[in-house]
Amino acid sequence: MIPETNRRYAFEGIKIVDFAWVGVGPITSKYIADHGATVIRIESHTRPDVLRLAPPWRDGQPGLDRSQFFASMNTSKYGVTLDLSKPAAQELAKKLIAWTDIAVESFTPKAMRNWGLEYEQLRQVNPKLIMLSTCQQGQTGPHALYPGFGQLMASLSGYYHISGWPDRDPAPPYGAYTDFIAPRFAATVLMAALDYRRRTGVGQYIDLAQYEASLHFLSPALLDYHVNSRVLGREGNRSFRAAPHGAYRCKGEDRWLALSVSNDAQWQGLLRALSNPSWGADSRFVTQTDRLMHCEELDRLVEAWTVQQKAEAAADSLQQAGVPAGVVQTCLDLHQDLRLEAWGMFQYLEHKEMGPSPYEGHQFHLSKTPGELRWAAPVMGQHNEFVFKEILGLSDAEIATLSEEKVLW
Amino acid sequence: MSTPVQRSVLMAGYRMLDLSDEKGLLCGKIFADMGAEVIQVEPLGGNPARTIPPFYKDEVDPEKSLFWFSYNTGKKSITLDLATSEGRVVFQDLVKVSDFVLESFPVGYLDNLGLGYEGLSRLNPRIILTSITPFGDMEPGRDQQADDIVLWATGGMMAIMGERDRPPVRMNLLQSYFHAGAEAAVGSMAAHYPRELTGEGQHVVVNMQACIVWTLMNEQAYPILHGNSVQRNGVFVGSEGMRQRMVFPCKDGQITLLLTGGPLVFSLRAFMQWMDEKGMCPHWMAEKDWSMWGPAIFMNAKGDEVQREIDAIESVVTAFLMTMTKAEIYAEALKRRILLAPVATVVDIATSEQLVARNYFVPIQHEDLGMAIPYPGPFAKLSETPLAVAGRAPHIGEHNEEIYSGMLGYSKEKLVKLRAIKTI
Repeated sequence: MIPETNRRYAFEGIKIVDFAWVGVGPITSKYIADHGATVIRIESHTRPDVLRLAPPWRDGQPGLDRSQFFASMNTSKYGVTLDLSKPAAQELAKKLIAWTDIAVESFTPKAMRNWGLEYEQLRQVNPKLIMLSTCQQGQTGPHALYPGFGQLMASLSGYYHISGWPDRDPAPPYGAYTDFIAPRFAATVLMAALDYRRRTGVGQYIDLAQYEASLHFLSPALLDYHVNSRVLGREGNRSFRAAPHGAYRCKGEDRWLALSVSNDAQWQGLLRALSNPSWGADSRFVTQTDRLMHCEELDRLVEAWTVQQKAEAAADSLQQAGVPAGVVQTCLDLHQDLRLEAWGMFQYLEHKEMGPSPYEGHQFHLSKTPGELRWAAPVMGQHNEFVFKEILGLSDAEIATLSEEKVLW
Repeated sequence: MSTPVQRSVLMAGYRMLDLSDEKGLLCGKIFADMGAEVIQVEPLGGNPARTIPPFYKDEVDPEKSLFWFSYNTGKKSITLDLATSEGRVVFQDLVKVSDFVLESFPVGYLDNLGLGYEGLSRLNPRIILTSITPFGDMEPGRDQQADDIVLWATGGMMAIMGERDRPPVRMNLLQSYFHAGAEAAVGSMAAHYPRELTGEGQHVVVNMQACIVWTLMNEQAYPILHGNSVQRNGVFVGSEGMRQRMVFPCKDGQITLLLTGGPLVFSLRAFMQWMDEKGMCPHWMAEKDWSMWGPAIFMNAKGDEVQREIDAIESVVTAFLMTMTKAEIYAEALKRRILLAPVATVVDIATSEQLVARNYFVPIQHEDLGMAIPYPGPFAKLSETPLAVAGRAPHIGEHNEEIYSGMLGYSKEKLVKLRAIKTI
């Protein structure tokens, strides 16, 4: 083994051609891009990534190069434009395939087929290729060709039905929830496939259905149905083991505190933080079982205290007393959260068109080869020259012709 | 004994010591699905996650938690008391022959036992230690406590989930822990790849609050870029005062449908066409130009004219959807390529023709319960190294003999002694 003492990033030297769009595919390749890989994002003016058309936009004004939504998912990548419906573009894509280690795509299954860029065709060009296809419901089966996006997948995977209050319609999670589940699985398995290839020289094809990956977050409910015929519904903020447990109104406009008491030590801590209220000794609240049984009464008593408190101060005193507690933070609160600041959660990167704007940092840190947001997301075609000239070795004249013919478009 | 189950070869030959509780179990399960040998190191009375419901036939029993079953397939289990000095020595023996250690103790707990990254890497420089923490390993968050609801709150999701006239609401089912567990798998693999090139492991720290912030889909940027924040609004999505319904009632439940044009206009047009064929699309809606209908119009709208139009459209659509069931609507949407989805229950999922066609659910034998339970199958299909859900979760200490005698080569006498002093 050769010691690589100068290695800076985990995936330095790894190459990815990223045909993906929207959430899951780009987030998956972003993990590897931010950890040092050379990732080339292939886009086209003929079918812009829908995230480029989605808010938030710089200054609230739409524009292909103004979406922070797109930008956040595409840091540290090179961006090129290629109209893959044109044969010349398909040939260039194959040249990139010959160069790359990994290809990622997230269209409905027929897109790559129509362009002649399916795995079977691409492995002729690069026998060691690892290719990840991720669409909503998988490459096979009766619903394979059905398009969609994360909100619909979150609904189809059961997350809407179980969110909110039992006596009301669902109160779904904000956004395309499963788009933030599936990439965690996709990135893991892609990295494992890369390591497997390092050991064996064997590449492979990965079909990751966002449906199938996301359902792993629902497993207990699925087993409960199979074994006990129970259909999980909405449960509000009720917990099977904690009471009090919930969001409690605090001083101010729509300010809330979340807290959770799961055992006697936390219960004692709660009472200390509340300056030992008289109801602390109530016989209805002696054991955790008692407290669960009388959780509604407890909610009322706790809220009688919280409404007189500022959420931040209440969270602090509960934390000091050993009770899990925290402010129900708005997005603005997040930007003022000292814990997130210490972690480096929000980082301002200079974008070619948007200027400085807030990007999310990573959710894990590596102690020796940390990832970083190496640069802001590319504007459309920002790296055409670098990629086609430096990597594929095309001449200026060839690039000019290809641009004119709207192959690089 | 159950019949031997097929394991994936993807990560075969690598070993993970899984010290985690409910906050990290999914990470170990993902590794087991990929073929790694994952050993759950449980306290003597069993992992606390074994007390989490639901239970098999509602029998409260640490060997019957369906939550535990879900996130420990394909793992082995040993019991070990890390708090004793003998226990620590045993653990050190395990670390010397392992590749990954996964833990979700309070920050600093393992350090205090001399089993933090420094300690472990001296025993085995290759080791990767993955720590799942509520708020990271730095001040001021490192010593703060959180459980699931506090993570949804401090991570920003609760503030935008729920109804205006009720408290903010969290996601159900302890899902913040699954985000953290799955993210820990990414982090562990990101450390694994360079380790195999350099021979040097490292410490991976997962921040659970950060995991939730990422699920906000970039919502964090609104106050900075637009000068406002979205507020919780039940089944409505909205920006800057506009409310648009995303979940509609139908005959037997609800349907999720986002009525916007732009890049999704093909779907909106197909939907109008369908309503029109059923005689339920008023002229003004059939004639409407849907191409730009969406956030760009909503955000720049003045007055309440646009809102009135949104409301009018929604009442027409609701009347149409109320004539059909979830299944009827979805079947037709598949044919017409209309972007919608049923608000599915576990029944809908268990009977999904797509999942059935792809053999998604895999029966896992529970010989002690006398039944096979269908489990969610591999999270991806790999052409060369298929993943495999490799058998039921282990019983408490089920593999003590195999690991302590077989793998570590402890003598019978030593095992008797370790048992007597309640180390294993």
